[in-house]
Amino acid sequence: MKKPKVAFFDFACCEGCQLQVANMGETVLDVLGLIEVVEWREVMSEKWGKKVDVAIVEGSITDLHAVERIKKIRKRAGAVIAYGSCATIGGVNGMKNNFPLEDIKHYVYGDSHRFFPTEQTKAVHQVVPVDYFVHGCPVYIPEFVAVLKAALQGIPYYPPDYPVCVECKLNENVCMYDRGVSCLGPVTRAGCNSWCINNGNICYGCRGMVSNPNEKGAKDVIAKYKIPMELVLNKMNMYNKCRELD
Amino acid sequence: MEDTHYVVLKKENFDQFISTLAQKQKLVAPVPKGFKSFAFEPVDSAGQVALKYIPTVLPLKKYFMPQRETLLEYRAGKVMKAEAVVEYEPLTIFGAHTCDLAGIQCLNMVFSERPKDYNYLTRKNKITLIGLECNEYCDAYASCNLVDASFPGGGYDLFFTDLGDDFVVHVNTRAGDEIVASTRSFDKTEPFQLDELRKLRDAKRKIFVNEVPIETKHIPELFDRSFRARAWKDLEARCLACGNCTNVCPTCYCFDIRDELDLTLKNGIRYRVWDSCQLEPFAKVAGGFNFRKERSVRQRHRYYRKFRYPMERFARYFCTGCGRCTRTCMADINLKETLNELLKESEDRVWKRWL
Repeated sequence: MKKPKVAFFDFACCEGCQLQVANMGETVLDVLGLIEVVEWREVMSEKWGKKVDVAIVEGSITDLHAVERIKKIRKRAGAVIAYGSCATIGGVNGMKNNFPLEDIKHYVYGDSHRFFPTEQTKAVHQVVPVDYFVHGCPVYIPEFVAVLKAALQGIPYYPPDYPVCVECKLNENVCMYDRGVSCLGPVTRAGCNSWCINNGNICYGCRGMVSNPNEKGAKDVIAKYKIPMELVLNKMNMYNKCRELD
Repeated sequence: MEDTHYVVLKKENFDQFISTLAQKQKLVAPVPKGFKSFAFEPVDSAGQVALKYIPTVLPLKKYFMPQRETLLEYRAGKVMKAEAVVEYEPLTIFGAHTCDLAGIQCLNMVFSERPKDYNYLTRKNKITLIGLECNEYCDAYASCNLVDASFPGGGYDLFFTDLGDDFVVHVNTRAGDEIVASTRSFDKTEPFQLDELRKLRDAKRKIFVNEVPIETKHIPELFDRSFRARAWKDLEARCLACGNCTNVCPTCYCFDIRDELDLTLKNGIRYRVWDSCQLEPFAKVAGGFNFRKERSVRQRHRYYRKFRYPMERFARYFCTGCGRCTRTCMADINLKETLNELLKESEDRVWKRWL
């Protein structure tokens, strides 16, 4: 059987999620045994430019060039995997949407801004249809491997639709709220095995929110722990601003 | 073994006892984690063990039905091959409170039902359980007396009661007998020690009273009257559906089973992980319909699974009064409060009928 052709593409992002593939350790050998990588700007100079079975797309869509490019990629790809928070939920690039576009242009490009047309930040699925989502900043490698396997078998992958608290409890961490620290775990979609909290950090909400969050209940909890609402909203908007465009 | 068989462990021999036990096989005990939290973790000396502790973050079920456990290894392809897997290791648990012992008794009943769960039962047979008495309440969240779990009711190999200078230890099984014989740390009881034990229990009977004003035997009736109570609706706006209450519950045993292929896409495993009725996808079926879409309905289901349904099936409550669900709930959903509200509502209704 011929190996499926896989290509990596990047848009507005830090390309750190692609770097995570290099962080896989020995698993990377098994992954490469399964697929043929035909295009990947970060690690190889060859260009393929033809049909691929799976396109792995990192980064969010922030200007018209990117819109055209992602549409072309969609056309020549069997399956599209949105890879990393920037691609799946807009991620930190979404903070751009907190300001009027005109201000942004002037702030970044000064007098030359007319040479750099820009748009509101969008997640990949807000521009073209996406088949698989690998959330996270950066992606959690075991989940990426699970998604890749699902894509190659042609079966769906459902990211968990429950909060990070579930995995955090299974790991028997002391709750951040008991430590007096605010944490976005209760409203953030699981699937990362509570990676950050296991290592003493809080949850920043990088995987996006659960599908049916109890916003009123969450506000009550925030009030109970005497956390300023503004602080929490700022934390939410760090990764989740593009949610408004869904 | 005598009918009532007690021995004594002097406090000065406690460290020797713990280290000898730890050398025999893996030993776990409650360990402080800071921020008023405790967890059962491996120990090898008495200094690590918390003798006074409030219920651990996770109950003992994590050793009896691990968070993730492989059930089957298979080879896909033209010729299918599958082999059942049972993962277990010999283990001693020291310091289980009566609420957690009751939790294991519940799980034993569930997994012994036909079809028997051999993964659970095999593992259980490799676990030695040493209990530790609560001389007073751990905190205000506990409701162990309401469900008859504040005094030892079996389900252990040895049971320790701390009497200050020494522990009086009840030997309940042959495995317990073997520990007493092989660790060589124990002495015979003196009559005054058994006297002290009796006095402690008498004192406990005064401290431990039903935490909710209802007789234990009347709880199922209360639930029969309460299916449409307003109290459930109130939970709708509060519950975050984080599943903490069920994950920390010593008797919640729901699990999900999944298949996973390795990267050859030929060999795979079937494994099970903890699941929770409080989570959004739990009752979602093909086509997207959700049988328990509302959080209040899911919460109600949880309470009925503790106080009503198991009464019918196993003739015992599946709440052990440990208070973990209340302690862990960020939204302050409080088991005792909920029961009190149900009581109040049902009394209101009874009064109205009379007037």
